[in-house]
Amino acid sequence: MNRISQRDAFFDRLYEIARKDRDIILVSADMGAPSLDKFRKDLASQYLCVGIAEQNMITVATGLTLSGKKVYTYAIMPFATLRCYEITRVDLSIMNLPITIIGVGAGFSYDDSGPTHHSTEDITAMRALPNMTILNAADSTMAAAFADLSYQAAGPSYVRLDRQVLPTIYDQRTDFSGGSIQHKTGKDITIIATGNMVHNALEIANKLEEQSIQAGVIDLYRLKPINAELLLKQIGDSQRVATLEEHFLDGGMGSAVIEVLVDNDVAIPVKRFGIRDRYYYAYGGRSNIQSLCRLDVNSVTQDILRLGISTEPEELKITR
Amino acid sequence: MNRKIAAELEKKAGHIRRQILDMCVEAGTGHVTSSFSCVEVLVALYHGGIMRFNPADPKWEERDRFILSKGQASPVLYAILADVGFFPQKALGSFCKADGMFGVHLQCDVPGVEITAGSLGHGLGIGAGMAYAARMDNKNHMIFTLLGDGECHEGSIWESAMFAGHHQLSNLIAIIDRNQLCVTDFTENCVRLNPLDRKWEAFGWQTAVIDGHSFADIFSALGEVRSRQDSPLVVIANTVKGKGVSFMENAALWHGIAPKGEQAEMAKMELKRGAS
Repeated sequence: MNRISQRDAFFDRLYEIARKDRDIILVSADMGAPSLDKFRKDLASQYLCVGIAEQNMITVATGLTLSGKKVYTYAIMPFATLRCYEITRVDLSIMNLPITIIGVGAGFSYDDSGPTHHSTEDITAMRALPNMTILNAADSTMAAAFADLSYQAAGPSYVRLDRQVLPTIYDQRTDFSGGSIQHKTGKDITIIATGNMVHNALEIANKLEEQSIQAGVIDLYRLKPINAELLLKQIGDSQRVATLEEHFLDGGMGSAVIEVLVDNDVAIPVKRFGIRDRYYYAYGGRSNIQSLCRLDVNSVTQDILRLGISTEPEELKITR
Repeated sequence: MNRKIAAELEKKAGHIRRQILDMCVEAGTGHVTSSFSCVEVLVALYHGGIMRFNPADPKWEERDRFILSKGQASPVLYAILADVGFFPQKALGSFCKADGMFGVHLQCDVPGVEITAGSLGHGLGIGAGMAYAARMDNKNHMIFTLLGDGECHEGSIWESAMFAGHHQLSNLIAIIDRNQLCVTDFTENCVRLNPLDRKWEAFGWQTAVIDGHSFADIFSALGEVRSRQDSPLVVIANTVKGKGVSFMENAALWHGIAPKGEQAEMAKMELKRGAS
């Protein structure tokens, strides 16, 4: 099992790309990473630290990009996105410039750092921006692939990386061009998860199976633009959908999925699992915070079981 | 400087002011006073030979970059870009019209315009990024950024000022249109900016304080900037908001407003008299 962090996987791959394309510039708001030490040392002229100044990070990145550079910006997620949001809106979204914002610290991954460092609104905020592509990594293989996807992007991208080392679920041959990946099909319910919650979803599906509920799992990693055609195909004939995200429910991934369903006239019951409109000053690790907001595997499993899913075959229901 | 050239440029400034007024009166909107305060600076840059550009090739790689960070002054830039040939003059007549190519705030798809602006506090950092890239690539073009003084209330300006000072971006020139007014009041009543020059000095910039309506002053500060070394340069251009129309000068009331009816006629008369 690969035990590299998403951040190191991303930067290791970016390092390889940047060695070949010397127009790549990495602009950091005073954030480090073990893998960045190599980048800073070997590609010193392609690394620029602007200090803890996220607004200037984005405007300088814009000036570099307008001068022909391929720029990546890097900070902890709430600061990379929300601190400089209006500047990103004008310089990246309105001007449609191919800059990649790398945010580290999805959801509660900066667990003990408290709500200032939890990233629970960024999906809502960033998916409001036209032209933006949002990529949310579930494991390190995917994170490395995001370095390539963002390098090829014609417009702005936002890459969400988890801070914690998560198990690897994808192999090197996985195709990440589609936008979502189906892990299991399930006629009773399909759990659509994103980022670290894909791991929870896989466990939840196994637990549901023990209760004779067939649950599918989809990793929706490209949150904007959503590949609606592929997602609907993956949901298929499943009787219900559950969405699972370590992010506020308001405007998050679950909201985006509902929009896809409604806009395509798909009438299917949906249950959203996410963080309910409050901040957590809670410590003792990420799993503790997940339990408090009922996003842990057991809570979500119980809540799905409470939905009263009928596992009877359709023909029995008709003859009854 | 040569008196004849100064007279020519003053004549051009008068012409540009009349065009700005016509554009905004016709549209019934536009930031007339914010445009009037920086007419001489832009005329010096574009008509006075300070900047290198090519209207036939707006994206010419060797061009100097002009960033109008105070994007509400778009009428002055549009009038000048049309005057030097980036697009036909008739485009000015459709300012803010349904069939027009531009509106109140600056947009990057207009030939000769580098960035979209209107939201303040963006242009200096973008200019700093451009200056940094030019130095990386051993390019010798210059980056000129025009800021409003009210814009200097934005914290992002000072992040970028610190960055440019630290990196000694000598190819970056900031010009502050110091007309003393922000939107609702004088800057010094709102939140004090002075001593503005010493603030910039403390951030690592060379400073020059000039009369922003005097071509002699503008050329003394910007005439020989290509050989600069060691630090970015800020030119604090003392100006009058609404310069050229007596009842609009120094009046916060006129921010973002185009005169109508009788006042529009009075303004036109004053500008015409000024030209004679």
